[in-house]
Amino acid sequence: MAALPAGWGVPELDATNRAWFTSGALAVQQCASCGVLQHPPEEVCHQCGGTSFDVNVLAPRGTVHSYTVVHYAANRALVDAVPYTVVLVSLDDAPHLRVVGNMEGDVEIGMPVVPYWEERTAEDGTAVLLPQWRNARSEPGASRS
Amino acid sequence: MHGRAAVVGVGESRYYKRGEAPDTEFQLACTAIRNAVEDAGLSMRDIDGVVAYMERNEPVRLSAALGMGDLDFTAQTFGGGGNGAGAAVTIADAAIAAGYAECVVVFRSLAQGQFGRYGQSGRARRSRGAGAFTVPYGMQTPAQICAMQTQRYMYDHGISQDSLAEVVLASYAHAQRNPRAIRYGTPLTREEYHSSRWIAEPLHLYDCCPENDGAAAIIVVSAERSRDTRKQPVAIIAGAHGLEHRDGVAAFGEAGFPTAHHRHVGEQLWKRSGVSPRDIPVAQFYENFTGPVLMAIAEMGFCEPGELNEFVADGNIRWPDGRLPINTSGGNLGEAYIHGFGNVVEAVRQVRGESTCQVDGAELSLSVSGPGYAPGSAVLFGTL
Repeated sequence: MAALPAGWGVPELDATNRAWFTSGALAVQQCASCGVLQHPPEEVCHQCGGTSFDVNVLAPRGTVHSYTVVHYAANRALVDAVPYTVVLVSLDDAPHLRVVGNMEGDVEIGMPVVPYWEERTAEDGTAVLLPQWRNARSEPGASRS
Repeated sequence: MHGRAAVVGVGESRYYKRGEAPDTEFQLACTAIRNAVEDAGLSMRDIDGVVAYMERNEPVRLSAALGMGDLDFTAQTFGGGGNGAGAAVTIADAAIAAGYAECVVVFRSLAQGQFGRYGQSGRARRSRGAGAFTVPYGMQTPAQICAMQTQRYMYDHGISQDSLAEVVLASYAHAQRNPRAIRYGTPLTREEYHSSRWIAEPLHLYDCCPENDGAAAIIVVSAERSRDTRKQPVAIIAGAHGLEHRDGVAAFGEAGFPTAHHRHVGEQLWKRSGVSPRDIPVAQFYENFTGPVLMAIAEMGFCEPGELNEFVADGNIRWPDGRLPINTSGGNLGEAYIHGFGNVVEAVRQVRGESTCQVDGAELSLSVSGPGYAPGSAVLFGTL
């Protein structure tokens, strides 16, 4: 249930983003010196200037913080994909961290969402796992409360 | 810095819809600069500084083609959008105040019919750096980015779709009086706004700036020297450009999201100028998209975010009766999208009394550049 064509946009892996894009988990960068979480990952900690990082896996739960339904295809490769929804998800374990993703179906601000991972493969064969989102309430076994 | 430098000339090329300019972008730049120099009553040999933002047409080619004097100062700003317009004016102001140059042209030329279109994106096969976290999801154009900001802002503060429309309708109404405007003779109704197609919700087609071809320029000299020029000199009272810690970091990661990145800019501008928003009779707010305009109005201190619906309703931002007429030339939406430099020219014209929607006795005139992108910028012009 990918929203965009399979060949569209594969992140180029580097030292800072490898864990996020290959682990199949919400593997957030954590400064080894001061412990602050930062996402997207960076080369320098924004709080203490540290350059050594660990990975902290957060719970797979989030809340829709904002979204847009894109109707105009900004590239010919996306003509058949519109309209598609881009969400900005606030992670429940660390609400100040936000993640961009796609989501199908109805969406509204405040909606609880859970991630799944979409595999995309670059032309050189490198595979990445992109976090995508779905409505937590429509999950199998989701609470009706 | 209060009024040490002044704008003594303004000029534009003719403005065209994308792809309709018969001249190249470089030729359009030369035309705008020539017109600004002539407006100032100066000679091209007087120009000794060149400042721009995101500009392809470099001082080497320009000075050769135009016959400028020896150049003592050239600079260009950071940032990926029209946020550079006010910043470029501020750099010229600083160069004059520091004595590095005596006569600086500040300009922007942009022919989207000849180069890349801002509303489109390249084929994204590999995405690096910050783009790796957005482009794979089809989040790459300014419209999409500003839509994401605007959606949350509307939710947080109860902003209505009609308030977005008010920004558009003000620009189009003002463009009907400005023969330079591409939308001159093409008014827009509220119904046409609401029924126009979505680009990226909550932004309709008319919430988005057009893609145009053209160039605009101003000439900045010291206040002392400005007394000898042809037209009424317009003082640069103060400029500000900058950002708060983590403003504009990748993938909407800033603490203040959604923000137009103008809180810090506003604080600095009012502190430096010694005036406050209630003193401002007319303002130009760079309209890339309508949502960031509303955000910038609040962040610059004109009202609280929760007051925006009322602030823009009932003609409050329209000439001649509104309490704060904005984008009085038609702005980016109605006049032309020259990456916001037309807004700077119009702000100068208001102080000169030359606007086609002239606010009586406008002794102060504000131009706010590039909301939605960091570092933001703003310039306050006024009588010398």
